[in-house]
Amino acid sequence: MSLQSSFIQIFISHIKREFLINFRSLVDVISIISFMILIVTLFVLGIGPFEEKLALISNAIFWIGLILAIIPSLEKTLQRDYDNGWLDQTITSPTPMELILLSKSLAYWLIVIIPLLISLPLFIVLLNINLKLIPWLLISILVGGLSISLIGIIGSALTLGAKRGNILLPILIIPLIIPILIFGVGISEAVRINESPLGNLFLLIGFTLIYLVISPFISAFLIRIAISR
Amino acid sequence: MFDWLANPNRFNRITEKIQPCILFITIITLISGLYFGLFDSPKDYQQGDAVRIMYVHVPSAWLASFLYFSLAISCVFYLVWKHPLADLVSSSIAPIGALFSALTLVTGSLWGKPMWGTWWVWDARLTSMLVLFFFYLGYILLSNAFERKIDGSKTASVLAIVGLINLPIVKFSVDWWHTLHQPASIIKIGGPSIDDKMLLPLILMIFALSFFSLYLIVLNVKTKLIEKKCEALLLKSNLEEISKTG
Repeated sequence: MSLQSSFIQIFISHIKREFLINFRSLVDVISIISFMILIVTLFVLGIGPFEEKLALISNAIFWIGLILAIIPSLEKTLQRDYDNGWLDQTITSPTPMELILLSKSLAYWLIVIIPLLISLPLFIVLLNINLKLIPWLLISILVGGLSISLIGIIGSALTLGAKRGNILLPILIIPLIIPILIFGVGISEAVRINESPLGNLFLLIGFTLIYLVISPFISAFLIRIAISR
Repeated sequence: MFDWLANPNRFNRITEKIQPCILFITIITLISGLYFGLFDSPKDYQQGDAVRIMYVHVPSAWLASFLYFSLAISCVFYLVWKHPLADLVSSSIAPIGALFSALTLVTGSLWGKPMWGTWWVWDARLTSMLVLFFFYLGYILLSNAFERKIDGSKTASVLAIVGLINLPIVKFSVDWWHTLHQPASIIKIGGPSIDDKMLLPLILMIFALSFFSLYLIVLNVKTKLIEKKCEALLLKSNLEEISKTG
């Protein structure tokens, strides 16, 4: 019991720490949202201002914008702690690295994905997304965002200390997150053509659960390799 | 068995004997497979002579997936039992697997031109093969991205294992995506019924390319072993020189 409660305390304190670090530089969140707006703008400029065309692909644009805007920020999640030696210190502590990494990815989810949800009305207006999609979009971003942050931690741990890590990260990450895009767009598409989106939603949840289980272990393993250098 | 093979000297001794056999089988099956495939098999009633692309396309698609599986398995051996030879094996498999997946994409595209009228169709199988190619590419890039080689091989091995978990999901999701979006029916290569005369060259070519890639992998591992030996010798001579000059 005491072990459990101490684990929960550690967990909460790590999430608090991430919050403190990230909210002292709100620039990150703002830059992600503006990057996403710019990606959407590029798409619309490339396609042309045709309402019918946009209505068909607005869901896809939204999801691609979301994924592309998040990827550059993933690299920093561990790199900063690696550079200033925080990871070297915590790996010697009795706290399991897996727990710290799980709290890190949850904190990332809270810090990056939740603000994106706040900006959702903006994208609904910009992309002319149907209003009945909103609850499904909320759920799918919440679930899909969790799996993106879980996979992102793996990607960030993979490129820790690598040469040209910032270019390598998208190449490694994008093949892994293809299912999120397919299921995420599938949810919105199913709603758009008046079918039940539950099948896609359950698949997305299942995918996220798999990574919820394996991601902390894999990234902790990778960090032990990186620290032993 | 793997423990026993993991000794580099023993590996060298055994492969010395096996390698000519592998090469022999490769040549025999390749020549007979190509002969039966190109000259002594019927044209498809729909696809005509283009069906002969299948004799390269299907074996390389099969090999691309199989080689990824063996790559990930040998990465598991490397990470769990820390056999240095397992790392050499996986780093030798990677470029060959990448080449076979690229070959699958190229032959699929060549086959697609007369069949579908375009070089590229976002068919479910082609798309998942493209993703597989990027997994190979990620492995190769990551294993070369570190200052020390051992860091690269460890990290890339983890990536290969993550890929092994993720690839079936990608394959499934791409199939899922395809059934949702694709209304038109597409001619599938190798349906449930296939003529015996077509099956023979197909099986021969599968054997030929499998043995060919086995031969290349063994050759690659041997080259890497020699490279390692050269490095060790160089290091040794450098150390001796340093100790001489004091």
